[in-house]
Amino acid sequence: MVNDLLKLAGSDAGKMVIGLVGVLLFVVVNALLLTWAERKIAGHMQRRIGPKEVGPFGLIQPIADALKLLGKEILTPAKVDKPLYYLAPTLIFVPVLVSFIVIPFDASLQVADINVGILVILAFSSITILSILMAGWGSENKYSLIGAIRSVAQNIAYEIPMLLALLPVVMLANSLSLREIVEKQQGLWFVVIQPLAFIIYFIAGVAETNRTPFDLPEAESELVAGYHTEYSGMRFALFFLAEYTNIFIVSAIAATFFLGGYQGPVLPGIVWFLLKSYLLVFVIIWLRWTYPRVRFDQLLNFAWKGLIPLAFLNLLITGGLLKI
Amino acid sequence: MGERGFHLEKEIIPVKFALVEKVLDLARANSLWPVTFGLACCAIEMMAAAMSRFDLDRFGAGVFRASPRQGDLMIVTGTVTKKMAPVLTTLYEQMPSPKWVIAMGNCAISGGPFVFEGQYNLVEGVDLLVPVDVYVPGCPPRPEALLEGFLKLEEKITGTRRFPRVESAW
Amino acid sequence: MVNGLIEEIKARVMGAEPVEVSYTEKGYHCALETSPDKLSGVVGFFDEKRFYLECLLCTDYTDYLELVYLFNTHLAPCRVKVALKIDPEHPVAPSIAAQYASAYWYEREIHEFYGVLFTGHPNMAYLFLHNGIDHYPMRKTKVPVPSEDQARLDSFKPGEEEDTFFINLGPQHPSTHGVLRVVLKMDGEYIERAEPVLGYLHRMHEKMAENRTYQQFLPNTGRMDYLGAMSFNLGYVLAVERLCAIPVPDRAKFVRIIATELNRICSHLLWVGAYLADLGALTPFLFVFDDREQILDVLEGVAGSRLTYCYFRFGGLYNDVDDEFIAGTRAFVKRMWSRFSLYEKLVTGNVIFINRTRGIGTIAKEQARKYGVSGPVLRSAGIACDLRKIESYSAYDGLEFDIPVGGHGDVLDTYKIRIAEMENSLRIIEQALAKLPGGPFMAEKVPKKLKPPRGDVYQVVETPRGELGIYIVSDESDGPFRMKWRVPSFSNLMIFPELAQGVLLADAVAILGSLDLVIPEIDR
Ligand code: SF4
Repeated sequence: MVNDLLKLAGSDAGKMVIGLVGVLLFVVVNALLLTWAERKIAGHMQRRIGPKEVGPFGLIQPIADALKLLGKEILTPAKVDKPLYYLAPTLIFVPVLVSFIVIPFDASLQVADINVGILVILAFSSITILSILMAGWGSENKYSLIGAIRSVAQNIAYEIPMLLALLPVVMLANSLSLREIVEKQQGLWFVVIQPLAFIIYFIAGVAETNRTPFDLPEAESELVAGYHTEYSGMRFALFFLAEYTNIFIVSAIAATFFLGGYQGPVLPGIVWFLLKSYLLVFVIIWLRWTYPRVRFDQLLNFAWKGLIPLAFLNLLITGGLLKI
Repeated sequence: MGERGFHLEKEIIPVKFALVEKVLDLARANSLWPVTFGLACCAIEMMAAAMSRFDLDRFGAGVFRASPRQGDLMIVTGTVTKKMAPVLTTLYEQMPSPKWVIAMGNCAISGGPFVFEGQYNLVEGVDLLVPVDVYVPGCPPRPEALLEGFLKLEEKITGTRRFPRVESAW
Repeated sequence: MVNGLIEEIKARVMGAEPVEVSYTEKGYHCALETSPDKLSGVVGFFDEKRFYLECLLCTDYTDYLELVYLFNTHLAPCRVKVALKIDPEHPVAPSIAAQYASAYWYEREIHEFYGVLFTGHPNMAYLFLHNGIDHYPMRKTKVPVPSEDQARLDSFKPGEEEDTFFINLGPQHPSTHGVLRVVLKMDGEYIERAEPVLGYLHRMHEKMAENRTYQQFLPNTGRMDYLGAMSFNLGYVLAVERLCAIPVPDRAKFVRIIATELNRICSHLLWVGAYLADLGALTPFLFVFDDREQILDVLEGVAGSRLTYCYFRFGGLYNDVDDEFIAGTRAFVKRMWSRFSLYEKLVTGNVIFINRTRGIGTIAKEQARKYGVSGPVLRSAGIACDLRKIESYSAYDGLEFDIPVGGHGDVLDTYKIRIAEMENSLRIIEQALAKLPGGPFMAEKVPKKLKPPRGDVYQVVETPRGELGIYIVSDESDGPFRMKWRVPSFSNLMIFPELAQGVLLADAVAILGSLDLVIPEIDR
């Protein structure tokens, strides 16, 4: 029996299942941790303490929140477009899960090393837009719709510089597999060779996750809660979960591509990887609690007239230098 | 039963999941997200309660949600006029249950200082529109009073009180 | 100025009989009666002379209704009261909305509260009241609303046209800071038309005043504009003191100034925070509340409340300030001076902030005059009109301070002006503290029951949001016969539909925020 199980676990399919379960677990734990961290960090930046009474340092707080959301009435507004409305929060999870499959947490800790890993991530991350659009359209709410439309425009605009910023690294590493990219950074992190690409990627990444200063789709003072205005309870929690997971993924990819992933002395690889990722996550949170929001046209101008030409230039120069 | 307001029938749940209910109640009490619903002067004191000195977020109640769909608690902070009444009821109805209401300030409790003979635009107490769980009197109530209101509401939900009660010196 | 004006009116406007009145007794310089057919000529004269319409109000004297138009100039005060008597049975008057944009809302207000129909007004829809009101509330006798007026209750019905997209900003919306509703007709992200709907917090202050004695109405003032409660308090006691000719001891004057200026800083601080929250930056909000709490501590010590103060009394103060107050104020002033650099770093130096606010919501001087805007919004247009200096009251004339003005009239200017005003307030407080005289804090022998002589007075003060005017009519009873509040946010909001036309939704939110609206004050 035990042997059978072990054998099953050793097989490819078994590995996949274990990996998926692990990923799901990680997604949940990560989101819980990040909500707590966000509130705590925000609190301290704002001269207060943040959650404190629920568990030690308020650590149980996110669990209480999650349980509460679970226990809420499942409410479907009367006028919504039901299939879209129901499907959107679930669909937003697909890209999230897929991305986790290819991210190498450690030299040997990766669900699957696909040789076109980064393409998989980028391709699937477009689904996020689709689900946001579905949520906005399906909600039958004007705020939601505007939020969703903004989100689509924003994500399309920022996907391009994001890709363009990653390409030089791919050229340097000569591979599309995430693990190989990490392996190539043994001596020197790519951020040293490609600082510009790193910055462009990071800005685009923040925009992709819809965080301040690019949080237009959810702009509270304009659009109430943006595309998830009409969602409540568990469905809302799913959006929340996806948002925090996305933040982690953006940071994790940045760490993998530019900061040497799991590479690092003394400590085990996974610790290094998480350390680097969460450092970037912290920066994203920090930005949110410092900056105002940009305006819609400024946002698009910045992408199309600023980031994209710059990223192209960077790509060209890198290409040229590699050739020589 | 009194004259005013609503009296909801206690919901009859055929099967009781005692432990689950308890845990859920505990979670609910510790995560009361208010809907941003500032009406008048009292709203400023509600904001003050969320700010550095008083920090509602300590109890997990600092997540002000702009959308009623995501809130658990409506704090009615200020005067409710007849023009506002339908909006308030709609908002309340948009919130998913379980949901609670705190009436903050004399205006929300009874119309406060604006009740006079011949008044034509005032709802004299928000409990004429929606059921109220906790009343916080004052004009405006201090942020401490609102915090106490939160503790009261938590007590109502879980049956136990978070902090020892402060004995009055008088 | 007044004499010359009177001569000119006599010469130019047919049949007008202007009389000069004592400013100290009345609060205006010149009064003049006119009739409906001459009104447009009179108004045209003032328009040409670049007066602005300060206020338009109505009083019900049972046997006739009196419309009062108050005209004033920005830089050299010369307030003219133009009165127009109309028949209460068939209340009709010509509209002046075409000449003065600010009359557009005032006339609507008078229409729904008194039933006066203004001929030639483009849209007589109701602004404040709710569905189901059946009489004109401010009339002394109960006059039922005719059915054709009932139809005007819903002022703006979206959804009539097919291909347009309407958005409702409010009444419960994060960016309106209260319960203002703005109906926006959208073209994508751009706004085609904006239409504010008021009255969600109409608390009947003016009606209540007629049911209360002078003393009983005092607490209402702090609740009208809860952020600038001291200024409203001050305006009211000044008006009643003018009406009853009550002298105020010097000490009280200076304490009033200190308290009012502290309150002004408080209000501006809150605006800075709330405004940045509108723009998406949440942290400054908490920083300003931190500073604000320090002021509240100081004021609470003497006034007894944190927000809705009722500290001033007719003839003085509720109680005297103590050493603790003075030490506390000094400590706060010292702390506040060091905080500006922090705000500078956190906010003013921020590219995103600058780009969001520069060149947006630009107000021209002429536009500001037509709409009668006041306060920082007016000063941002480059008009150095601050009533503390121009129509000095209390003891402001003995203190030194500047009037910061802007050059562009945009939103960024209003921000800078408010920051500079806080600095000037600190200067005022420092001087007032240094000059604070001893002596009594309350005038002697202020009667318990005030019985002012028959007549009217007008009193203005500069609140954090702009010009507050209080018009009181006394009929020798112990309560006001009519009390009209000319509130700054009301006039400032009037300009919003014009500013919002054709801008992005996000900019509209930024403009709305820059007006620093306090809704209960608009709705009264
Ligand atoms: S209770 Fe007092 S402070 Fe609160 S809204 Fe009413 S009047 Fe304002």
